[in-house]
Amino acid sequence: MARPHSQLTGREMSLRSGPNWDDMLAGAPETVPDDPDLRGIEEQVKLSYEHAFMFYLPRICEHCLNPSFVASCPSGAMYKRDEDGIVLVDQDKCRGWRFCVSGCPYKKVYFNHQTGKAEKCTLCYPRIEVGLPTICSETCVGRIRYLGLVLYDADRVKEAASIPDEKGLLDAQLGLFLDPEDPAVRAQARRDGIPDDWIEHARRSPVHALAIRYRVALPLHPEYRTLPMVWYVPPLSPVVNVLERDGFEADPDDVFPAIDRLRIPVDYLANLLAAGDSEVIRGVLRRLTAMRAYMRKQQVLGETDDAVAAGVGMSSADLEAMYRLLAIAKYEDRYVIPQAHTELAQRLAELPGTCGLDFEGGPGGCGALPRPADGINQNFMLTKKGPPPTGRSLPVLNRRPEEPGT
Amino acid sequence: MSRAGSITLRYLTPHSKWSIHSEYQDNLHLLTLFRGGPVIWISVEDAAAIEVRDNDWVEAFNRNGVIACRAVVTHRLPRGVCMMYHAKDRHVNVPLTELSGNRGGMDNSLTRIVWKPTHLVGGYAQLSFGFNYYGPTGSQRDDLRKLLTIFWNPDLPTIDDY
Repeated sequence: MARPHSQLTGREMSLRSGPNWDDMLAGAPETVPDDPDLRGIEEQVKLSYEHAFMFYLPRICEHCLNPSFVASCPSGAMYKRDEDGIVLVDQDKCRGWRFCVSGCPYKKVYFNHQTGKAEKCTLCYPRIEVGLPTICSETCVGRIRYLGLVLYDADRVKEAASIPDEKGLLDAQLGLFLDPEDPAVRAQARRDGIPDDWIEHARRSPVHALAIRYRVALPLHPEYRTLPMVWYVPPLSPVVNVLERDGFEADPDDVFPAIDRLRIPVDYLANLLAAGDSEVIRGVLRRLTAMRAYMRKQQVLGETDDAVAAGVGMSSADLEAMYRLLAIAKYEDRYVIPQAHTELAQRLAELPGTCGLDFEGGPGGCGALPRPADGINQNFMLTKKGPPPTGRSLPVLNRRPEEPGT
Repeated sequence: MSRAGSITLRYLTPHSKWSIHSEYQDNLHLLTLFRGGPVIWISVEDAAAIEVRDNDWVEAFNRNGVIACRAVVTHRLPRGVCMMYHAKDRHVNVPLTELSGNRGGMDNSLTRIVWKPTHLVGGYAQLSFGFNYYGPTGSQRDDLRKLLTIFWNPDLPTIDDY
């Protein structure tokens, strides 16, 4: 009989756990109480059939503004790119210490035992650089992913991450983001070398709309203080109707139907997305509910009820725009990704991202490349004579025809 | 036929998450995504009634057949229902069953073939009758007589005992 054998010792072993041991609430009575997301709300999450809830939370690397595992690498092999904020592991510099695996609170660094190097989500940077969405976004059947760029103040990252109160981290991180509509911000961006079309893409960014303008997207576990940059819109869920007598009769014109009686406890969502601050979650769920109520009134009854929008602090136009973005957005509205400018590539080779060990007297110097004038081919974008004269040298694959004016 | 430490339940066979029928039942990658072998899901109350803990070996039997598999205890199921994900693979990583002395068994061990008129239509090209050609359909799982009994046996004999 093929009994499980350990691949490390060769001896028989009895399996006690695995990477997905508790998939779909398997073994729930034993595994669920250990879930750190339930801290403080154990009595609310009842392990009974009537109260069972599940929802998907797909996670990729957060590409944090303050990535903790970048600081934990003794070799300085990890870095956050200057040009687009993608956090990467330099496969040449990695020495297999594996402190990064411990250092990432989202556990998104994986160690490859065959190559001896750490690997992680690269945000599909070869695709992002030519304006294509990541594979996870492209293949998303539910079309629930949005990609866009956000301008932020890099100098205040440390200050934002150091806010003493955990519940203040959300606002602190929102305070880092700069308004691309502000001409002063655009002028400063231009001075800092951000190309004009990138600034235009920042204005059209769906991420900016959902997270900053409409404030319905929230960072995952902000209390880790890494200032994560993959945000989630919390889900509405059905209203629990435990007993017929005690049942909730859904009145479709009732705009805020018992938000605290939704199947997914509000406090659970708060532990995931708001450092335990349930009011933040309620605010988001109210906006989503208001959007539904407003659109229902408009489409079923033909009425436009501005009071619904005002009740959640938004304008009707914003509510409709949010609806279009969340419900019926087209491919080019969901993925607003500017292409990398190859004429700026030489500048990037001279100014790589820094790592935490780049101080004076430290090991530092992760990835600084010699100048192209040395005559060494650093990458295919540059030649012995320097960067190609104009235009792009990268092949553009499967690109939609360019719209005029972009 | 009931034994001590057994319980009678209704039996569901939905489609599995980490395999496609018999495919990927031998793929190590996909086996690590769950428990690595055949499992049957039972509710918390039913598991408590027969003192089965998560990941214990159980035998599931009715008058059609018997399966040796591990139990997964969850509150996702209501009392009185058990679930085994659909798979058509001969399992080599399970012990012999007490009842039959044979290894394995899978979800269809407990169902049986029942013809219905729609199986007999056609008679041309591929639309012809073949024994179980269209697979066990809903008609073969709905039989109220196919109630399932689970028997907890921690010491199922293995090949080393012979």
